[in-house]
Amino acid sequence: MKDFLQGKWLKHPLHPIMVHIPTALWPASLLFDLLANARNDNALVQAAFYMALFGWVAALGAIPAGIADWIDIKREKPAWRLGVYHMVLNITATLLWGINLLVRWGDVSTASSVGALPLGLSIAGTLILFVSGYLGGRMVYHYGIGIARLSKGKWRRIAERGGARVPKKEESAG
Amino acid sequence: MIKHLLQGRPFGHPLHPILNHFPIALFVISLLFDMATLFGYGENALVLASFYTMILGVVMGVLASITGLADYLDIRADHPGKRNATLHMGLNLAMLVLYATNLNLRNGDLASTSTPILPFVLSLVGVGIIGVSGYLGGQLVYDEGVGVGRHLRDADAPPQTLKVLSSRAGPDGFVAVAEEGALPEGATLRVQVDTNVMAVARIEGKTYAFQEFCTHRFGPLSEGNFHGYEVQCPWHQSCFDVRTGKVTQGPAKLDLNVYESKVEGGKVLVRVPNDEQ
Repeated sequence: MKDFLQGKWLKHPLHPIMVHIPTALWPASLLFDLLANARNDNALVQAAFYMALFGWVAALGAIPAGIADWIDIKREKPAWRLGVYHMVLNITATLLWGINLLVRWGDVSTASSVGALPLGLSIAGTLILFVSGYLGGRMVYHYGIGIARLSKGKWRRIAERGGARVPKKEESAG
Repeated sequence: MIKHLLQGRPFGHPLHPILNHFPIALFVISLLFDMATLFGYGENALVLASFYTMILGVVMGVLASITGLADYLDIRADHPGKRNATLHMGLNLAMLVLYATNLNLRNGDLASTSTPILPFVLSLVGVGIIGVSGYLGGQLVYDEGVGVGRHLRDADAPPQTLKVLSSRAGPDGFVAVAEEGALPEGATLRVQVDTNVMAVARIEGKTYAFQEFCTHRFGPLSEGNFHGYEVQCPWHQSCFDVRTGKVTQGPAKLDLNVYESKVEGGKVLVRVPNDEQ
């Protein structure tokens, strides 16, 4: 199960693929809200709603995949704590967007603008997402979480061919 | 420097992987809107939603291309991920041209209640391309480590591996690998003597040669970050003393091979490793 969620079958971690959907669609949904209110256009209201919805569905999938990546980080590493913040913020954002969708549900096919409450929820949800997304990116690009996890066999062969001293296989598992 | 800004170094996070979320997600949802209209849902509103999301996807895709190119320029020519990086770029540029064509086709027919067939097919092809290309891009990060830990280092990565043969070594066992000017203070070289790959760094005027591959997950130390006589692996931040090869910070547990090197007669030289190492 953990192997599946970590994306071993795909030879690519799963969490960073899934997060593209909410990370892009939630801010885009907010942008479409603002355009809808500027132009009184139901097409934009609908677009904003369905973007938020699709982002939310993908976020529900991204959460277990993210937890599967996080449980392999050793507790004493700085990335572990960063992972906790990232997780709490993302779960909060997902809850906010869930409430947001419920608020919008009733009049999405007729409204030509977006009310203050759903708009406020989108602004809050997007700001949380920006902070959290940045932390998630730091986990990858600063702390190397998930880097060479699936390719370390290939790199070991390249290192051995290059005359490097390499640890025995069981020692480099961590 | 504009390249370093586009690479996101001041932010401690590359920009390309932030921006690329948008075309990926927006092109996918644009296609979902098309499908909904073809099944009779949403009518004209979703035809428009598909069009608008595609416009935003193309705009963000153009920004992602510029930052992606800045990342591409720093992948050394003989990097195992270079070919996939080139393919990733080619596919993405083709995809953007395809989506621009797609937008142009749709622009004439925005009053319809379902997406016409040709733009729909172009979107299907586009999402297929983005699936392949996005997967390659992800592999460049997660398998090849491109862009990881890059912001920790001031200097650019070595642009290529300098390959020399041990048969060119002098009677003292040293072989010239580069002009002295190619290795200023704070820079590194990636050198291959026969099959042995090493990083050569210059610290306080002297040169230090050590194995290129970290002993944890074999990250590229020639792209590492230097603090005094320590090199830090860009991938998981293991540190080693370049003078002795000793681990000074994990996760690595095993010391590096180190090699003798020197500057003489305007050249950087390394001693040919003996096979017992």
